[in-house]
Amino acid sequence: MEEPKSSAPSSRSEPGQGGQGDGAGGAIILFFILGLAASLLVGWVAFPALLYSEKRQPVDFNHALHNEIVDHGCASCHFFRADGGFSGAPKLAQCIECHREANSDDPEEIRFVEEYVKPGREVPWLVYARQPDCVFFSHAAHVRLGGIDCAVCHGPMGESTSLRPYQENRITGYSRDIWGWNIAGIKRNSWDRMKMDDCAECHAQARVPGGSVQTQKDGCFVCHK
Amino acid sequence: MDQPKNKRYGMVIDLDKCTGCGACMVACMAENNIPFRDDDTDKLLSVSWMHVYRLSNGKPFPQAEECFLPRPCQHCEGEHGHSPCVSVCPATATDYDMHTGIVSQIYTRCFGCRYCMAACPYHVRQFNWWDPVWPEGMERALNPDVSVRMRGVVEKCSFCYSRYQTALNRAYVEGRRELAEEEYQTACAQACPAGAIVFGDLNNPRHRVHRIVQPDLAHGGRPRNPKAFRLLERLGTHPKVYYLTGRDWVRRAGDNEVQKS
Amino acid sequence: MKIDRRSFLAFVLGGAAGTALSPLPWKLTDDISIWTQNWPWTPVPPKGETTYVDSTCTLCPGGCGIRVRRVEDRVVKIEGRNDHPVNRGGICPLGAAGAQLLYSPWRVRQPLKKMDGRFVPVSWEQAIGEIAGVLRELREAGTPEAVAWIADTDRGTTAELCRRFLTVYGSPNFIRTPCAQDAWETALYLTQGQRATAGFDLERATFLLSLGSGLLEGWGTPPFVFRARGALKDNNGRFVQAEARLSKTAAKADQWLPILPGSEGTLAFGLIHVLLKEGRERKPFVAAHTAGLEELKRQALQEAFSPEAVAQATGLEAKAVVELARAFAAAERPLAVCGRGAGRVPGGLQETLAVHFLNALVGSVNVEGGVIAVPEPEYIRWPEPEMDAVASKGMQTPRVDGAGSERYPHARYLLNRLPEALLQGDRPAVRVLFVSGGNPFYSLAGGERTEKALARIPLIVSFSPFLDETAAAAHYILPAPTHLERWEDVPGAAGYPKPVVGLARPVVPPRFATMPTADVVLRLARRLGGPIRAAFPWESHEACLRQTLGPAWETLRRKGFAVEEGFKPQPFETASRKFEFANADLKRLAAFRPLPAPGDPGAFKLTLVPFDTLRLTAALGAPPFLVKALESEILLKNDIRVEIHPQTARDLGLADGADARITTPQGSARVKVYLTEGIRPGLVGMARGLGRGAHDRYLAGKGVSANRLLALVEDPSSGLEAGWGIRARLERA
Repeated sequence: MEEPKSSAPSSRSEPGQGGQGDGAGGAIILFFILGLAASLLVGWVAFPALLYSEKRQPVDFNHALHNEIVDHGCASCHFFRADGGFSGAPKLAQCIECHREANSDDPEEIRFVEEYVKPGREVPWLVYARQPDCVFFSHAAHVRLGGIDCAVCHGPMGESTSLRPYQENRITGYSRDIWGWNIAGIKRNSWDRMKMDDCAECHAQARVPGGSVQTQKDGCFVCHK
Repeated sequence: MDQPKNKRYGMVIDLDKCTGCGACMVACMAENNIPFRDDDTDKLLSVSWMHVYRLSNGKPFPQAEECFLPRPCQHCEGEHGHSPCVSVCPATATDYDMHTGIVSQIYTRCFGCRYCMAACPYHVRQFNWWDPVWPEGMERALNPDVSVRMRGVVEKCSFCYSRYQTALNRAYVEGRRELAEEEYQTACAQACPAGAIVFGDLNNPRHRVHRIVQPDLAHGGRPRNPKAFRLLERLGTHPKVYYLTGRDWVRRAGDNEVQKS
Repeated sequence: MKIDRRSFLAFVLGGAAGTALSPLPWKLTDDISIWTQNWPWTPVPPKGETTYVDSTCTLCPGGCGIRVRRVEDRVVKIEGRNDHPVNRGGICPLGAAGAQLLYSPWRVRQPLKKMDGRFVPVSWEQAIGEIAGVLRELREAGTPEAVAWIADTDRGTTAELCRRFLTVYGSPNFIRTPCAQDAWETALYLTQGQRATAGFDLERATFLLSLGSGLLEGWGTPPFVFRARGALKDNNGRFVQAEARLSKTAAKADQWLPILPGSEGTLAFGLIHVLLKEGRERKPFVAAHTAGLEELKRQALQEAFSPEAVAQATGLEAKAVVELARAFAAAERPLAVCGRGAGRVPGGLQETLAVHFLNALVGSVNVEGGVIAVPEPEYIRWPEPEMDAVASKGMQTPRVDGAGSERYPHARYLLNRLPEALLQGDRPAVRVLFVSGGNPFYSLAGGERTEKALARIPLIVSFSPFLDETAAAAHYILPAPTHLERWEDVPGAAGYPKPVVGLARPVVPPRFATMPTADVVLRLARRLGGPIRAAFPWESHEACLRQTLGPAWETLRRKGFAVEEGFKPQPFETASRKFEFANADLKRLAAFRPLPAPGDPGAFKLTLVPFDTLRLTAALGAPPFLVKALESEILLKNDIRVEIHPQTARDLGLADGADARITTPQGSARVKVYLTEGIRPGLVGMARGLGRGAHDRYLAGKGVSANRLLALVEDPSSGLEAGWGIRARLERA
């Protein structure tokens, strides 16, 4: 934000020193740069800030701490149900198994017990990886059949000590994790983005055989409902 | 990654057993979140994946006969999966899956040009002219396994693909890759109180649907059972929905030639 | 520095270049396209854990086993239970649409009281208190018999509690809504001496003759009958339908006999005539197990039942009658059934007796593939209640409907006679009417006269969970929970040939402040005190159910049903221990005579015949899915279509789809016509179940109700409702 100010004196001195035409040319370049800079700022800084609204998770959960205590890693709380579905974010009933009373003097835990456990209110967790309604994602197929680790899509979530804010796209209502945190869509890790192309990329790498007549790739119904 | 042997899911409907009660239609509506409107009596505009048609032999009283023909999507295989609708879709919103033989429809991909509706010889596709609206509270009965369709897109029967997805999920969790015949059944086949609808894998000689139809898979699945026929066989669309009847006029009606006789 | 046009353009160009180099346009395009794919107003059903709960459907007397799919606490789908003996996985359209009843916005959410013609919410305490007050006054005045109760079943703990309440209160006027079983139960009692319901072993019959029964249109327990029809086909059996119109049942029969409407009984006697004349009865069975054949011969061998006379009466050829009788007699396991349409009209007793005799002559009574007397379940064994003087006196007064009187000694319930009884005298005979099912304000024929009669009752209490016609006409609505929110024992499945008991359970907690009808009864009893209170020692309906079922409760709770697989029918319990074609009781009945359609044939040239469809219901209304599935041959926009033959249409100058006005001696209505070769010339076919004055906006106000155009017709031999049609006129509108 400091740049325009520092360049201001030089640009002000230009009209006096040069001729009419040069000055005009300089002004044009100047305005071009101004427009360029302003739009780049809008596009890279203001737009992402405006596009997403930020929400805090209802309870600040420490994955790392829990991971140390539980016996079965992620599957201790995120497990497959008998109906073949995946439990996703745990229900209050699971939390209560350990947290009927606060186990520590951590103020966040005490607040969790007071606000949710005691009144029996489900925690409205904001799911970073929530896909839109048209998507059918089978955890069973990926984890059980494909043997893929949770972190491949969810990143090192299990090592986090605190929950990062949840950002929601104001236009689509999607979680920011779907597009990825890099506004340019650049991805460094497999979990950085969760769009259809990312699914397709991985399916292609894993040579999931395609049954589609139209695309020679996967059939559409493999991932859609 | 190895893939289990290709399936060719299909259906056989015994028209001599079907009573036209409509349980298949209602079961389908409940399973697949079919919307309803104040006036659904114009059946050309009414969205219904499964529709029971009433056929008449055209003879005068008292020789008049009627037959009821439930019509889901025929899931045509065409030549190498080029079913009439799949070939024309400009949006790749509908597709033929060689692994299952099911013609898919992706609503978020569809932009509503309705070319597929024009191409389909069986009227199985319907356009959502209106936003789906449920009266207050009734949206609670919506099934989360099937997307609710918006205004402006085409939809059709999916052979209850979501039931295939959930059945597979259960199998994967139990460490299996193959489904037993009864694990994946469409809502209509399951509901039919007359036992007229049989659903299964036409490629699997143990499945009832294969045993009944005895499909000649080298020739587009033509039925070897003399009582079995497909709608508009002469078009070469190779549907995977077969019909059984012992009545000649019904069979002829199935090829739309009832007027000629 | 001067900001001129050129510098402005440069600024814009720079802006454009910068924008293109930023993610804005690309991301925005992507987001907007996603936005157009997921309109925020298109509902997204919440995901969750899927569970299944087994229960029993109580939407009709069928008692099918259902499997309810829930996602978290929402009911999303109802399927048939594969392991249930009655429906074996099948389900009817109404059962499949059951979740729409649970989530209907037209449910009654709390007790309502009508004040100045409008319903206002009241508390349960107030409603029950006020009704108990009226009941107390009637008892104090010594007229407890002025209370009547209409229920759609007389079995199970809820119905028995209601009946017990009336008994200790002092009223004999518990009335079950009419159904074909009324006539069958009487027929079984008169010929076999058995108090039982009629079961039909349709699955194992090899020749099925249906005299006007809508076997595939709601008769009996639809999934069971449908499966049996399939079995008949698989076994190369034969199915013959005698009916005036090409109904769905007729269309699926191997042979359709388009008889004149109302001639079913004559045809049955004609078949008996041929059987006896040609000596084709099963002699070993008849000799060993029946009595009174000579009397039957005297009756059936009359000239009036000769093939020629029957041909005349039925519109068939004499040869066809003889051939049918021979084929029926020659079949391995022949079975004849009756009860017109969905079996909601009992029909004439003599007609049912004729059909039953036909079965007895070929040995198809209480055997495999025949009519089976299924004993009424006996698990309800409560001690006889203590009655005070008022109750004893009240119970000795004759029933308001005349059932059990000298004139109708064998009838148990005659709801069809209630309207006339109500119209007698200055004050109506019924001062308080409770209605727990059956929706009589809609389903009783008789048009305005019936309505006028029912409206004379000063206090009507409806227990309907929905705002149906009866609820709308009631003074109080005490809403019961729906079939997915309450416990209910379900004894028997209509027409099923084995004793079976099912248990309906709350699949989800009640959505609204509803109360099971049985609990209202318990509360009323507590309010009234004394012997009435003492007759009901149970805390709640659920507690009563537990105690009543005893050890069976746990089995039922676990399994959901109990069926007597190895059931063997009881021996006949008549004086002769045989099946009696004749006895003193039978002799006293008014002789068989075909009942003509009411109305003057000179003024009304046509005959209106109602028909039933599974896509509509009599009492319950139809949830939106059923209305959606309704054929455009029945409903077009808001108009009902009536079926007429093209010849009839030509005579009347009506084209297909034309607007017309139908007039009967009971009333007149606007309809559209539908031309079909599937109906006899001179008839007008009309679906029952439309013309609703209440219910939701998907059903209300569409078409007209056939019941408003039909008249109540009393069977002279039993008093039962036997109307099958009415004379009518159709004109261009």
